[in-house]
Formats: sequence, structure tokens, C-alpha cells
Amino acid sequence: MSEEQATSAADSAQRQVRVQLISKEEDVALPDSTGPILVPTGLRRYALSTLVNNLLGSEKPVPFEFLINGTFLRTSIDEYLTANGISAETTLEIDATDVLSKTSPAASWASGATFSKGQERILSGSYDGLLRIWNMSSEIIATSPGPAEGGHTASIKTAKFVSPNQVASAGLDRTVRLWKYTEEEGGFSGKFSPQLELYGHKAGIESLAVHAPSNRLLTGSADHTVGYWSTKKADAPSAPENLLPSSNPRNSKRRKLNTSVTAPQRGPLSLLSAHTGPVSAAVFDAMDSTVGYSASWDHSLRTWDLVTGSLVDTRTTSHSLLSLEHLPEHHLLAAGTSARHITLIDPRASATTVAAMTLRGHTNAVVTLARDPHSAFGLISGSHDGTCRIWDIRSTKTDKDGVVGESIYSITRKSLEEEGKAESKRVGGEGVKVFSVCWDETAGIVSAGEDKRIQINRGEGVLSSRK
Amino acid sequence: MDARKASKKRKAVTRDVEEEAGVFSGDELKNENLNGTLSDSANDLSESEDESDSEVELVDEFSDEEDEEDELDSDEIPSDDDEDERKNQVKNTDEPNFRIVKDANGNDRYLYDEINPDDNSDYSEADENANTIGDIPLSFYDQYPHIGYDINGKKIMRPAKGEALDALLDSIEIPKGWTGLTDPSTGKPLNLSQDELQLLKQVQMNEIPSEGYDPYEPLVEYFSSQKEIMPLSAAPEPKRRFVPSKHEAKRVMKIVKAIREGRILPYKAPEEREEKDDNLINYDLWADEAERPDHPMHEWEQTDPEDREKDFLPNDFGSLRRVPGYENFVKEKFERCLDLYLAPRVRRSKLNIDPESLLPKLPSPEELKPFPTTCATVFRGHKGRVRSLHVDPTGLWLATGGDDGTVRVWELLTGRQLWSVQLSDEDAVNVVRWRPGKDAVILAAAAGDDLFLAVPPIVDPEIESASLEILDAGWGYASSAPAPTAAEANKKNTPPKWIRPSSALADAGVSVVIPLRYVPKSISWHRRGDYFVTVCSGASTPASVAISIHTVSKHLTQFPFRRRLKGGGPPQTAHFHPSKPILFVANQRSIRAYDLSRQLLVKILQPGARWISSFDIHPTSSTASGGDNIIIGSYDRRLLWHDLDLSQRPYKTLRYHRKAIRAVKFHPSGRYPLFADASDDGSLQIFHGSVTGDMLSNASIVPLKVLKGHKITGELGVLDVDWHPREAWCVSAGADGTCRLWM
Repeated sequence: MSEEQATSAADSAQRQVRVQLISKEEDVALPDSTGPILVPTGLRRYALSTLVNNLLGSEKPVPFEFLINGTFLRTSIDEYLTANGISAETTLEIDATDVLSKTSPAASWASGATFSKGQERILSGSYDGLLRIWNMSSEIIATSPGPAEGGHTASIKTAKFVSPNQVASAGLDRTVRLWKYTEEEGGFSGKFSPQLELYGHKAGIESLAVHAPSNRLLTGSADHTVGYWSTKKADAPSAPENLLPSSNPRNSKRRKLNTSVTAPQRGPLSLLSAHTGPVSAAVFDAMDSTVGYSASWDHSLRTWDLVTGSLVDTRTTSHSLLSLEHLPEHHLLAAGTSARHITLIDPRASATTVAAMTLRGHTNAVVTLARDPHSAFGLISGSHDGTCRIWDIRSTKTDKDGVVGESIYSITRKSLEEEGKAESKRVGGEGVKVFSVCWDETAGIVSAGEDKRIQINRGEGVLSSRK
Repeated sequence: MDARKASKKRKAVTRDVEEEAGVFSGDELKNENLNGTLSDSANDLSESEDESDSEVELVDEFSDEEDEEDELDSDEIPSDDDEDERKNQVKNTDEPNFRIVKDANGNDRYLYDEINPDDNSDYSEADENANTIGDIPLSFYDQYPHIGYDINGKKIMRPAKGEALDALLDSIEIPKGWTGLTDPSTGKPLNLSQDELQLLKQVQMNEIPSEGYDPYEPLVEYFSSQKEIMPLSAAPEPKRRFVPSKHEAKRVMKIVKAIREGRILPYKAPEEREEKDDNLINYDLWADEAERPDHPMHEWEQTDPEDREKDFLPNDFGSLRRVPGYENFVKEKFERCLDLYLAPRVRRSKLNIDPESLLPKLPSPEELKPFPTTCATVFRGHKGRVRSLHVDPTGLWLATGGDDGTVRVWELLTGRQLWSVQLSDEDAVNVVRWRPGKDAVILAAAAGDDLFLAVPPIVDPEIESASLEILDAGWGYASSAPAPTAAEANKKNTPPKWIRPSSALADAGVSVVIPLRYVPKSISWHRRGDYFVTVCSGASTPASVAISIHTVSKHLTQFPFRRRLKGGGPPQTAHFHPSKPILFVANQRSIRAYDLSRQLLVKILQPGARWISSFDIHPTSSTASGGDNIIIGSYDRRLLWHDLDLSQRPYKTLRYHRKAIRAVKFHPSGRYPLFADASDDGSLQIFHGSVTGDMLSNASIVPLKVLKGHKITGELGVLDVDWHPREAWCVSAGADGTCRLWM
């Protein structure tokens, strides 16, 4: 008793609470000897997760969620106790659930989410025109400046880390912006500062691919062109005058957009135009950064020689292509279509058929694709039907339409479950559309969607467990 | 000879009173002359008769007495008749009616005249020629030349029968009363007189065969149903007609009493008699059946072949098939059988048509992919109904207008709202249409009485400035135009002046406002993007200003029609022909095509719909790849396909919706031969309608898909439909406040 009195008398930051860590999951083997342990009440989920990882002695830290009395811990323990009127003297029973997924609410439709390796940071772009950096505790570390301070003037469609300190984003304002991202000591706050604005596209930019070693960007735009850019100010040619916002006849009188921060404006290295429809995706060849692939609504997949800016090959499918990913080990390109499936296309000239394989299962347009970092055969797709599906390109069967594969795992949006409508199917994936998916070795599957959330699912061993 | 003659005469007197009539004596002579042999025998007979003269005498005396009596009898009968004959008779009484001759013994003998009985007497005088054979059948005389004997024992010769040719001739010109029968008594053809025929006819018709009977005598109505003004009796109705009959009561009571006493038993349904009736005798028909003798052929079969007396087996051929002519025999037999069945000898093989093959060869929907099948995106944001929507020419954006007075622009694929402007606070936005062409992005919208032309700030500066230039170019032209005179200004149908919008709208992106004074319900752009036609379909709109054509480059509004289109109420909607300078205007029941360059009415379509809601012209109309085709949707649930080259009547009528069709639309590119309609029953229907370039084949229409999803709100379902300009995607605007993208 005296000890507890002493703790209560102490500073609130120094306050401790007795917690009993349990886990209902079999693979999270907490040591039996762990009795109630005293933890400082200032701890948050991330710290608790680190604690549990230490207790487990696991090699790779696994993110944990913590359930106290049936609610997820979203704040510090101290705040939780005060909010729920629980005395600090009681022993808290904390259920450490290694949930497969966790979600982070964003302010608007989250359009692009990528993970920064080594730094455990998630970058998200949003339809409100802002970039956000998250840490693994669902906390926003940094937000990009608004339109007045040199930010995007319209929705961001895609955002990528060029390096841990550099971010590229593009969206409906037809620009690619490069940001310098600096983080303060301790990692609790960061700052975006505009570095470069790239003009050249005449319509919204749908996709952005980054090749960091050569400082090159590849964009696909709705103006039917593929843009090839340099991230270095010195390399890039000057921006086309007629596309600069200052040339807009109405901007001057309609809105005073005198940005306080002005970034240098540059143009594209080359604009590759051959598509007859909006280009929905453009990627670098994973092996050779001088080769680019682009997929378009005009049903075609085109191979570009980026150095000369010439069109190498055109593969025409029967549906609009909305997303693209290169699978270098199999010399295949996976393209998500508006017809609710994924076509695997062999872009090599020697290939006899256009579609090597078809992956069926989605119920709406497939708009984003990512490779499995663990397996050369794995692939994840995000679709407007509100699910992400994991595919193994080995598990196929031959159908009348050729080789057809089925998904081995389907990830629904957590937001639906929270609303208690997990079972109800949304027409057209309304409210839960997935816009972007990214699969990282350490963080897992990061997906962003119309439910204004970034959802993280553990994706390890999904394929290996099925071998 | 004399004696013999006399005796003969006597005989005649006794036997036949008319023997003396001289007419027949000749006949006798003739007969005698003809048949000498026969007369000899007759003489023989007469000689034998002479021996019995005495007896004859006695008979004669007796007969004399009888003659007198006859005379008396005969006197009585003529007294009934006319007076003349009577007088003759009286006169005759003066003279002795007898002659006195000497008989063989020399005694007087009174010979009386023949008594001539009247026709009226019952006395039936036998025909002297009548056959006397009695009931002997005539066939007995078949082998003789005669058919019997007359009363004098003379043979009645068989009348000469006509040859076959005569019979034929007779049958051709049938005489009156010809029966085709032979009178058995005379052997002559039996002819009937007119009276006899009439009699027979009456017997056949079951009529009463007496003359003077009229079966249709007028009926004398003694007690008619008609009430006379003056009744036969003016007495009031007696009381007994209104009181119950005591007599009937008495009779009923009698029956009741009988029932009570059990004398009358109530009817009971006869019970099914289960028990066997003992009285019924069953005869065993086969009780004493004798064994029948064996068939002789059976015995023959039993015996050994060597022992058989007669060999019935054919030896010439090993089998019947080897008999020559067997082939023909079987065939003939078969055909004879066919004859028996009334079947024709020439056998036609039955038409073996698979009913499936008669159906038109429609491709299965699977082959006609791609077409929209599922809802991909829901656009939510409008409060109240979404009345109109349109996908922009680049296919990136969707513009919608609704009851909340806003026009919104959405990102098509994701359903993100990009731009919104409140055009009117009270009035709904009735229609939104993008300007065709990719050189500029201009959105025309109609809210209330006004038309708005806007450049949404979603495009890049280059196109935006180009769009603004297009819209602003007309200000100068309009101001340089001469101001309308006072008379013109006073006129009701002065074209409206284009004005600049309020600053709030201008900031939002609206550039031009055209106040039309009446509510436009339809906007349709010309393909070049310089003209658009609006139709104010309200019933109160004056006909002269209902249809207006607007020129963007000159900021000019014109009213091309002075009078209302004939037949079918106010105009509903209008479209420009995709390649020719032709304007199609639809009123409630017909569509008229006007050549704008020649100012002529080119064509009138009569779809037969009661109220046309919308129509669309096939994008390849009048080009090399297709003729003029129009689809028409009507409020009476019909979707009509018109081929303008064929007829002014619809080529196909599709009636699949349960409620009114609000909008119809062809896929704008020639790539996908699709069209869609939107109905108040909350569904869209997708059709495949391929138009071929050659004039040989008609368009084939295949229903593909019913797209359901819109909720019916206030009796309204889907209000508008549009296609993506390149993909087989369609969008629909619902009364439930949502728009949907189908892919």
C-alpha cells in the first residue's frame, strides 16, 4: 500500500500502473511467468508494442494492438484511464492482440500510401491535397503545406518516397511535386518543404513511379502521355510557360494564390505520347531503369525506351487497363483492368500471346497492384470493390479463357467491420474503395482507401503457408 | 259358222257385257290373222263349248232377269246426275231397249242393249287390256315374248323395250312425270300426271294431302295479351284473387296427411345393391361347346412330306423373294395399302425443320462483350433527384445536375466530386451537356429559365483559356450588332440577350447566362460545338419561342420556328444530325427532320408512341458505315428503333420496361454498337444494336443486360443515361439522388 501511495504521490509522468499482459492468440507466446508488471502510464501503443516485442524476444518487431476492456488503446494509458474513470490502482488487463490489420484514419480519401524502408514511416497522399507521414503508432508526424504554401492545389493521386528524405507526389493539379522531408529528433514531428514543381502534364496525373538510383520519375497522366522526369533541379529542363499557374487567365482575379514559398518550376525530360486514352499507370522496368511500361484506358500496354523516348512495343488487350506492376522474375507485367480482373502480360517481343494469365476474383476495377516482397510469385491487388486480394501466380488452372488464377486471400476494409457491416456488400465498393496498396517486408500490406483510412495488414508468410 | 258365232256371242254376253263393242272385234281379227295356229286351237275350244249349249241357255235366262235388275239399278244412279241424261233415259223408255231375236229353238229371245254404267259409279270396269295373271311375278314371263293374258285369254305381248340408246335419250329429255319405273301391269314406263306428282310431294312433305286445307289460317286471338282501352269487364278484381286458395290448402293438407300417415314415402336414393340377385340367371355359353374338326391343312402338315397326297409347297423358287416380279409385287402392294389409307402415291418426305433454326440467329450476350454489367461507382452528393448527367468528351469527368439547383462535376472512375456550383436556389437544374470537342471544356446547363455556360476549373490553363476565349469572343459581336428597334423589342419573341453572370457565379466558373424566359428542358449541341439547340417543352411556352438555336461564337439566340409543329402537342426535345445539317425535332407523337441549309421539312417520323420522352440518333448515321437510325423512348414504355431508310414507322418496337422510358442513348463511338435506355421502373437496359454499312441487312438488336440498383423515389427511377465516349461504360442519374457508373 505504501508503495502505491508513493507512486500516486509522484509526478503523473512518473505514475505507474499495474498491467497484466495476456494474449489470446496462440502464436503470441507471452511468457507464463509474466505477472502483473508496472508500466509508466505515459506509455502509448507503440511503446507497449516494443515492450511486448522485448518480452517475446522476437527478432522482427511485430506491431501489436492492445485491447483494454474491449476497446483498442488509441491514446496513452494515462489518458485512457482518465477518460474511462479507472483508478490507476487497479490492475489493467491488456490484451495484446497481434491483429492482422490496423487502420489509421486520414482526413480525406487516402489515395496513395507507401512505406519508407528502414524508417518505419508511412507516406499517404490524400484527396484533400495534403501529404501525411505516419509512424507505426498511427500518429501523424508531418503534414504537407496547403495550397497557399506551395502545396498541391487539387487532390493528390499518388505519392512516393524517393529517399527517406525526399518525397514525390502528383495529383489532379497536373503537377509533380518533390518535397524535402525532415524529421526532428525523437521522430515525433517532421516537416515538408517544397523542393521542386514539375509541370508538363495537361490533365491529372494518375500514377507515379520512382527510380531513386537514377533520380528519375515516370508519370502517367489522363492527358494520354507518359512523363519522364528528373528529380534533380539541374537535370530538368525549364517548365513550359503555358502550363504554369500564373498563365491561368482566371486565377489572378478569382483567387490570390501568391504562394509564400516558391519552389523552382521545371519541365519534363520527355513526354511520351502514343496512347489514345488516359494513361493510368506507368512503371519502370524493375531490372532496367531505361525501360518503362505504361498502361492506359485505351486498352494498350506500351513499352518505352526512356532514353530515346521512343515506343518499343504495344500490346493491346480487350479492356481498359487501370494499374500496372512489373514481375521481373517471370518477365511478366500484371495489369489491373476495368473488367474486374488482372491480366498478366508478357511484354517481350517473343511472347506469342498477349495475356499469359488472368486473375479473377475482384468485383470492381482493379486500380492498384504491388509485388510480394517475400515471394516472386506473390502479388497483391487493390480494387474499387473495397478489398485487397493476394494472388499466387502459381495457383492457376486452365479455363476456356486460358490460364486463370484465383486469389488465395482477400482482405476487406476494417472500417466496414467497425461499422458492423462486414457482411453487407457495398454496391460498387461505395465508401470503401481501395485506391492504393503497398507491400513492405517489415510493415506488411499498407492500403489506403475511400474510407479515409490507411490499413496495415501483416502479410508475412501468406504465400509460404500455402505451399 | 253362224251358230258358232251366236254361241260365241252368248258366251260373251254372259261373261262380259262389253264384248259386243266393235272396237275390239278388229283386234280379235287381227290376232286371229296374226296367229293362225293359235286361232285353230281357239276354234277347237269353241267346238267343245258347243256341246254344252243347253247349260248355257239356262244361264242366259237367268242372266236376262239379272239384266233387268241391272237396268233398274242403273236408273237410280243417273237420277243423281244431270237432268238431260235422265230425259234421254225417259225418252229411251218409249222405245223398247231390247231386240227380239230367234234363238236356236225358234223362241223369241230378248236381246237387251248393253248397259253403260256411268263414270261415277263405283263399278270398276276392268280394263280390257289388263293383265289377268294376278299376283304371279312378272319375272315368270321373262323367257316369253308375252307378259301375261288379257281378259279374253289373249297374250299381252311384251312392249318393245327401247335399246340402250333410246333409254339414254329418254333419260336425257325426261318427260313430265317420268319416274324411271315400269308399270308392272302394263310393262310400259310409268308416268305420273301432274296431280299425282303433287300428291306424292305432299305425302313426302308430311302435309295434309287434301285440297283446300290451309295450314296457315290467320289466328283469331280471343284472349290477347294486349290490354284494351275498354276491357271486356270493368268489374274490379275479385277478392278471391288475393286470398289464399282454400282448395289448394286442402290439397296440400291431404298430401301432408298422407305423408304423416306414411302413405306417401319421401324419396330415398336407391341403395347400391351389393348382394347378388338370385333371380338373375347366368348362362354359360360355352358349356356344351363341341370340339371342332381339325383343319384339313393341319393334317397335311402333320403327315410326312413323302406321304403327302398333294404337294402344296411351291418348288420353282427357293423363296418368295426369288419369284420374278417380287420387287414390283411388294412395291405395288405397299402402294395399294397407301391408297387404302387415302395417302398419295407420291410420298413427300415430311418437312423436318428444327424449330430452333427458324429463330433469328442472335448472338449470345457473351459474344457481344464488353457491355456494362455491374455498378462500379456510386456518385453521392446531390440532395434530391439527379435530373441530368453527361460524360465529358475526354471521358474523365461526369457532369450532373439535380433538383438541388447544383451542377457538379465528378471524377468518373473514383466518384470524387471535383467541382460544384449552385446555379439556382429554387429551380432544379434540368439538363447539363458538355460541349463536344476536346479543344475546350464548356459545360452548358439549364436551371429554371436560364441557360448557363461554364468552364469548370478542372482543366489545365491552356484549355481553360481556350475555352474562355470561345465563350468571350461573342461579347464583342453581340455589342456590335445593331440594337433592336422598339417595335422589335416589344414583340414577344425577341431573342434574349446573353449576359454576364453574377460575381459569385463568375467566381465559380460560369461565364455566360442566357435568360430564356421559359424553362428549357433539353439541350443538344451541334457536333462542331458552335451551336446548341434548346427546347422549352412546357405546355404554356408560346410555340414561337419553344425551340431556340444558340450560336456561341456570336452570342446569338434565334427562334427558328414560328408556329407549333403540327399534331402532337409541344415540342419535347431536339437533336442535330451527327453529320448533316439536319435538325430533328420531336413533339409528343412525331419527329420531324428539317434541313437547316435549305429550310425544308425533310422527313416526318411516326413512331406510334403516345408521348415521346427522348430520342437519339445513331452516331454513324449517313456515313459510310451506316444509314440513318434513330432510337426513341416514350413515356408509354416503348423503345422504338427507326431506320429512316426503311419507313417512317418503327423498324423494331421493344417493350421491356414496366414504366415510362425517360432517356435513350446510343454509344457515341462507333466502336461499340450499344444503346441504353433509362426507365422509371428503376432499371436501365443495355441493348446491342449493330448497324451495317451495306443496305442489305437490317440492324440486329439483342437485349443484353438489365442494370438494377437505383431506388424508385416518388414514382421516378432513372432519369437520364449517358455513355462513356470510348469505353463500354454507362452512367445513369437516379431519382434517389445518386448517379451510378456501370462497367
